Amino acid sequence: MLAVLCLVFVGTLPLWVGTGWCDTGGLAAVEVREYEGVDLSSISAFRENSIRGPQEIDVGSYRLRTTGLVASSTSYTYDEVLNRYQHYKKVVTLDCVEGWSVTILWDGVLVRDLLAEAGPLENAKVVIFHAYDGYTTSLPIDYIMDNDILIAYKMNDVVLPPERGFPFQLVAESKWGYKWIKWITEIELSADAGYRGYWESRGYSNSADLDEGFFGD
Amino acid sequence: MSRQQLARRIIHWLLTVAVIVYLLTGFGITQYRIVEPLTFGLLTKNLAHRIHINLEIPFIILVVLHIWLLPLLRRFKLKH
Repeated sequence: MLAVLCLVFVGTLPLWVGTGWCDTGGLAAVEVREYEGVDLSSISAFRENSIRGPQEIDVGSYRLRTTGLVASSTSYTYDEVLNRYQHYKKVVTLDCVEGWSVTILWDGVLVRDLLAEAGPLENAKVVIFHAYDGYTTSLPIDYIMDNDILIAYKMNDVVLPPERGFPFQLVAESKWGYKWIKWITEIELSADAGYRGYWESRGYSNSADLDEGFFGD
Repeated sequence: MSRQQLARRIIHWLLTVAVIVYLLTGFGITQYRIVEPLTFGLLTKNLAHRIHINLEIPFIILVVLHIWLLPLLRRFKLKH
């Protein structure tokens, strides 16, 4: 009897906790689903798994700041970021530790370009990304500089919807999904090579390389 | 209770527990914002993930035993 009750309880969990699938409304109709012969996933194929749910950011008051070990801190509005830097397109697959993945056409600007304007100091080792919801993650500065890493403002030719990280999401290719921080508000340069972000401090790998496991280190 | 019945009962209970833990830890991964406070912070996403992954093989073994234990025991009994 106890076993049956437990099974019923667990089996009905999705009914009262919600399904977790994001609702992108009519966006699926306008997004591109094929780019240069590569089949793209739909925006609605993502699962909503952020730490505090989708964030609504007011683009009027939004600022993207570059801080920490830089020659001069910068602060840009959304439009300034889009108008000031060259845009790039990339098809990159996001692999989530939960077991799902999505292949998306990303439009964005290079993090390297943003950092170049601020002027990283020589002792900067790590780039720490901060999000509007308090989430943080970090990546080595060499990874950012050597790999054409984007912060994306569009996916599949659609401006990022709030649940997908508007205004900017990091496209941390070859890294597990928890490095793909959404709702970026600040890019901080640090000398703290041991810095661990939100999930990294909760037991997930700090390097987060796709060809390695996602636990430990 | 015969040994055969006892073995079956143990397998059934272990499988029941494994199914419940497997489902709970699955939700602990995908619905961690709900499951973590429901378990008073005991089942974190990371812990759920580790348990879920490490439970795969035992779960398969238990399912196989659950299906094949009785026929195997019967065949063993007939031969001896």
